[in-house]
Amino acid sequence: MDTIIIDGLSFALPLFIIAIGGIYSEKSGITNLALEGFQGFGAFIGAMSAVLIANAFGTDIQNLFYVALLFAMIGGMGFSIIHAVLSIKFKADQVISGVVINILALALTTFLTTQINALVFGAASDKFRLGVSERFTIEGVANIPVIGAVFTNVYPFEVIIIVIAFFAWYLLYKTKFGMRLRASGENPHSVDAAGVNVSKIRFSAVLISGLLSGLGGMCFAYSISANFSSNIYMGYGFLAIAALIFGNWRILPTLAACLLFGFAKSGGAFIAQSMALPSSFTDLFMILPYVLTLLLLIFFSKSNRAPRALGEIYDKGKR
Amino acid sequence: MSDYIVEMKHITKRFPGIVANDDVSIGIKKGEIFALLGENGAGKSTLMSILGGMYEPDEGEIYIRGEKVQISSPNHAAKLNIGMVHQHFKLVSDYTITENIILGVEPMKKFAGLFPYVDIRNANRKIEELSKNFGLEVDPTKKIADLTVSMQQRVEILKVLYREAEILIFDEPTAVLTPQEIEFLLGIIEGLRNGGKTIILITHKLEEIKKVADRCAVLNKGNLVDVLDVKETSTKQMAQLMVGREVNFESAKAPAVMKEEVLKVDHLTVKNEDGFEVVKDVSFTIHSGEIFAIAGVADNGQVEIADAIAGLTKVSGGKVLLQGKDITNESIRNRTEMGISYIPEDRQSFGLVLDFDLSTNLALKQYYREPFASKGILSKEEFEQFGSKLIDKYDIRSGQGIKTQVRSMSGGNQQKAIIAREIELQSPLMIFVQPTRGVDIGAIENIHKMMIQQRDQGKAILLVSLELDEIMNVADTIGVIYNGQLQKIASSESLTTNEVGEYMMGAKHE
Repeated sequence: MDTIIIDGLSFALPLFIIAIGGIYSEKSGITNLALEGFQGFGAFIGAMSAVLIANAFGTDIQNLFYVALLFAMIGGMGFSIIHAVLSIKFKADQVISGVVINILALALTTFLTTQINALVFGAASDKFRLGVSERFTIEGVANIPVIGAVFTNVYPFEVIIIVIAFFAWYLLYKTKFGMRLRASGENPHSVDAAGVNVSKIRFSAVLISGLLSGLGGMCFAYSISANFSSNIYMGYGFLAIAALIFGNWRILPTLAACLLFGFAKSGGAFIAQSMALPSSFTDLFMILPYVLTLLLLIFFSKSNRAPRALGEIYDKGKR
Repeated sequence: MSDYIVEMKHITKRFPGIVANDDVSIGIKKGEIFALLGENGAGKSTLMSILGGMYEPDEGEIYIRGEKVQISSPNHAAKLNIGMVHQHFKLVSDYTITENIILGVEPMKKFAGLFPYVDIRNANRKIEELSKNFGLEVDPTKKIADLTVSMQQRVEILKVLYREAEILIFDEPTAVLTPQEIEFLLGIIEGLRNGGKTIILITHKLEEIKKVADRCAVLNKGNLVDVLDVKETSTKQMAQLMVGREVNFESAKAPAVMKEEVLKVDHLTVKNEDGFEVVKDVSFTIHSGEIFAIAGVADNGQVEIADAIAGLTKVSGGKVLLQGKDITNESIRNRTEMGISYIPEDRQSFGLVLDFDLSTNLALKQYYREPFASKGILSKEEFEQFGSKLIDKYDIRSGQGIKTQVRSMSGGNQQKAIIAREIELQSPLMIFVQPTRGVDIGAIENIHKMMIQQRDQGKAILLVSLELDEIMNVADTIGVIYNGQLQKIASSESLTTNEVGEYMMGAKHE
């Protein structure tokens, strides 16, 4: 039971922060299917920086987690500029742009990882080995049954994510930037008429989504997989999109959706383990979050309402 | 210095294929209601968009409070205390009234001296005060989605007032309002003037100008015709200046020569989506050479009758006969082929494909048959030829002829295009639903003339209209509907306007 909660949280929270990135972009009116690409490219930049710095200075890669996190955020944000420029400046179709960016990220990170491994380390590998970030346990509260698991074996990034999520909520709902951002996704004409530049707002929203996706991606790499390769982030970006849609583009319900996915995943792993199935069958339980997605779609599709101007190219002249 | 608060001198603005304003000069005094009168496409909105900072003029100068200015953006206009109340509202329907109003000029406060946040509470209070001062009666915490159109308009007015506008431009503010709402709005506008604001009112409705305006500039095809003192000018004179020729409010028509029966509606009953009977047991006939008008207050079932005849709505009881043939369950295309022309109420959704060009829209009901298509392949030349012919014949005005995107045309010309297309079908029955809604008086006169012309050529015409004047003016026979039932059918000579009005309200029964 405790492992379900501990593992579930460490999966759900990175997913949550990526989903918040998606909320920012989509609330501003830009459809964002590129979360996975941002996440992957961001994590690649983070992992590469960590590996190279560790190599150059002989630092233990375990201790470079925060450095990697910083670079991952920059990397994700940098990569998101492609989506922002294509869909805002050149008014390209946002769905196509997003899909293409995902494919590009996959190809680019695979290629670059192998090249760097070959050049710097002389090894033929498509992975960067990273290790697992330190964990901590808050003594005392950790002994409370069930709830205590939340405070046991916590990754530091889980705390970081909670703090950032709270700040993201504040920025989106309490500041004028947030108010204008949400209005841009509902009726950009009203924002324009109020003398505010819609493109600038949307641009920053997409960059924020890139930054947060990079952060989430790096957290995955430093925990569950303990390495970076192009196949560690496959599917997570879309799971984040599913979570934000089930969460109706709102932060708290999105957290609930992410937790559900997280627990479904860790629960599946737990069941597979306790039944002592051969490893070829454990994969069957790994599909649990995705089956859950399909089931939830049936119940949530009706009551959900996307931002009104989502995916619409903003054209000043059209009424 | 002059006593004008706004002066526009020799303004010229050109768009591709059209001169929207040609050397127009006007001066507006502080604290007056200044009306801009003109038909659709006369250049009123363009002129005011220049003042509002949306467009920059190609030539000419603007002076605000005696100082020469170049208004580069709506923001700049707002700084000069100029505010525009747009015809198309620009509101976020998920936001409250307050949130919409403060968008872009949010008042800020700091939480714990560190985190800035938008001070909604204070803004609510300020807007409530503003609303009270000008008699706007809005609750700032309500969401836009829950408001009526007239309420939303008041939010737009509050938006400019909140930005401390002294010069308020109203762009066709009454086009979307009911008569009672118009009355209320005109009251607000007068209140604003009495509060010291300067008002510019863009409109093509003469009664409104007569009611509230002090002075009035008349524009025609981009030129300034005259600036009038409203008190000393009759509506007839204004109309004449606006259209550029004499206007007949009453259409001359010869008495109807009715021949054989074309349409017979027999005990027709129609249910709406909720299973509620909106048309109840309605029977009437229309003859060749007759204009039959259904009069009634909106939403009393008249549109459903027209839709049932045209085939857009299912019939739940009774029969519709066209030239003796039962068409109750025919498809829409079969009805068209058998001889029904239909001018729908909502011309932009049901009458036209807005993003197609004019020639395609004109061929929309015939494109599938010879000569427009042969063996399923469309002939571009035929479309173009047919389009050019109709443009000439019906005087449809547009920027780029047959290639014009219909979306860019004025409402009056869009309607002309639909009527042209429907007349060309040569159907024995023509249905007009609200044919003159939202078009200017020049075009109204024209549409009435065409209807009468078609009648004289032996067509049977069904007119559904909410405008009692229109019905009294063109109909030969009037059926008055109330609550889904025809209260009275009689020849138009035998009824007075008042009587029809009483039947419409359900106050008088047969």
